Amino acid sequence: MTSPSPSWSGFSASLRWEVIRWVRSRRVFLLAVPVVAGPVGSLLAFLYLKVASSDTAGLLGVLVVGALSGLVVLDLCALSIGEELSRRSHGPLLLLPVRRSALYAGRATAVLGATLGAYGIGALEVLELAHLLVPGSGSQVLALEPVHVALGMLAFLFLLGAVAFVAALVTGSASEALGLGVLAGFSVSVLLVYLLLERALTLAVPAGLAVAGAATLLLGLRTYVRMDVGGS
Amino acid sequence: MMPPGAVLSLEKVERTYGENRALAGVSFTVHRGEAVALLGPNGAGKTTTFRLLTGLVPPSAGSLEVFGLDPFTQRSHALSHVGAVVGSPGTLPYLKVSDLLEHVGRVRGLPRAQVLGEVKRAAGEMGVSAHLGRALGSLSTGQERRVLLSAALVGDPEVLLLDEPTLGLDPVARADLRGLLKDLVHQGHTLLLSTHLIEDVGPLCSRVLFLKNGRLEGDEPVTSPPDGAIRLRLRFRIEVPEEALRLTLRPWGIAPSPVGPGYVDLSIPGGEGAQVEVLRALVASGAPLLEAERLQDDLTQRYLERIGREEE
Repeated sequence: MTSPSPSWSGFSASLRWEVIRWVRSRRVFLLAVPVVAGPVGSLLAFLYLKVASSDTAGLLGVLVVGALSGLVVLDLCALSIGEELSRRSHGPLLLLPVRRSALYAGRATAVLGATLGAYGIGALEVLELAHLLVPGSGSQVLALEPVHVALGMLAFLFLLGAVAFVAALVTGSASEALGLGVLAGFSVSVLLVYLLLERALTLAVPAGLAVAGAATLLLGLRTYVRMDVGGS
Repeated sequence: MMPPGAVLSLEKVERTYGENRALAGVSFTVHRGEAVALLGPNGAGKTTTFRLLTGLVPPSAGSLEVFGLDPFTQRSHALSHVGAVVGSPGTLPYLKVSDLLEHVGRVRGLPRAQVLGEVKRAAGEMGVSAHLGRALGSLSTGQERRVLLSAALVGDPEVLLLDEPTLGLDPVARADLRGLLKDLVHQGHTLLLSTHLIEDVGPLCSRVLFLKNGRLEGDEPVTSPPDGAIRLRLRFRIEVPEEALRLTLRPWGIAPSPVGPGYVDLSIPGGEGAQVEVLRALVASGAPLLEAERLQDDLTQRYLERIGREEE
């Protein structure tokens, strides 16, 4: 006999479940993309473009790592609960005596924590590489500090992951969630470029992106808590 | 308020999905240690009843209780002693069987040291211990179904809610699974089972609820005839020599009756356990089975009277 599972058990088991799924499906290697391919790609870009200043190199590197991380974030977040819904394998888990909010929080923490963590490591690597390999300061004044861009990118990726994660819940399909995530990424990128050109890209923008991501996750929690297992 | 000894109780429960009324004023109670079948055709409201009992959806009207609690508003407490399989769940093919069962144990909050032991016990109950290290995608339908039932058994819940557990299984796998479920009932588990297969009911349950178009058409004892009265009639094409078939059947004292060139009928007496044993021996001997028919018993007759023939 078991007593009702405390929320912590549900949270930690759910977090572990996500990791086991990455390991068994070999998707865990995707997390190496921002950490390994990001710096390598950035290095090639520094050399090919003969970047003169370390700030420009850092900015370029953060954008390369961010773009690669975006793909990983979208993929893993869309496949998190979305894959289970597509295969109808969520039923046995939703019938367990545990708060669904704890299960949801565990899944979201694992997938967003790991993908954003991988981005963070990749971003730190390229910023360090930029300083080591491109020592010149250059004469050009950049519109944005590389470190600010790196932090802003974190908020952008958080929103992207949250959209893909929740879209999978709402549509019940990982592939549709991936499509919606790409669409969201494109729309937000266009908005960011516009704000940059208008010189309105202030600190409030990444903060707004992070708040939008958190709001999206809360919306997903509402859906998950009420989710049925299907059937006739 | 639930009657003493009751673990599940529905009182005038209704459930509508838009214009469709899936359940219309259903009332019944399941007591501790009972094995009850919810029998009805597709669309009768069986899965809806299970969804209500597992707190997946609230009732549109009426009330229901699981261990005296509302399963929709107090899910985690109401379901703490319940193991359930509802609908036709799938699995993630790349996961190992043990991954799924261990996860269920952890979510149920079992102490870490107990999880592995509990997984082995639950897998053993359903005869899938040998498959713990296998990928879920490599299992047959019957094995996968047993793994899902094992998942429902992790934590040793007192009440089992099993929605169509034998659906889609071949006759031998179905009989095997019935045997395993029967063992669980003998161990004292309370069982509520939904099915549209009459042959699932007799060997497992003591009480049957007839459900049709969301209404309860009957709540009565199964009163299965004694084992010896149930006969299984089988028709085989003889590709093995008839003498070999006679030799295979000799231990059970069953004689094949020729019914035409190249065909024989067998009538196997005894309970399900004995019949499964004979069937296994026949399948192992390579005799191709053409027809299998359980001779109509009292329950079939009652089903036809209450549910009729116009189902689907």
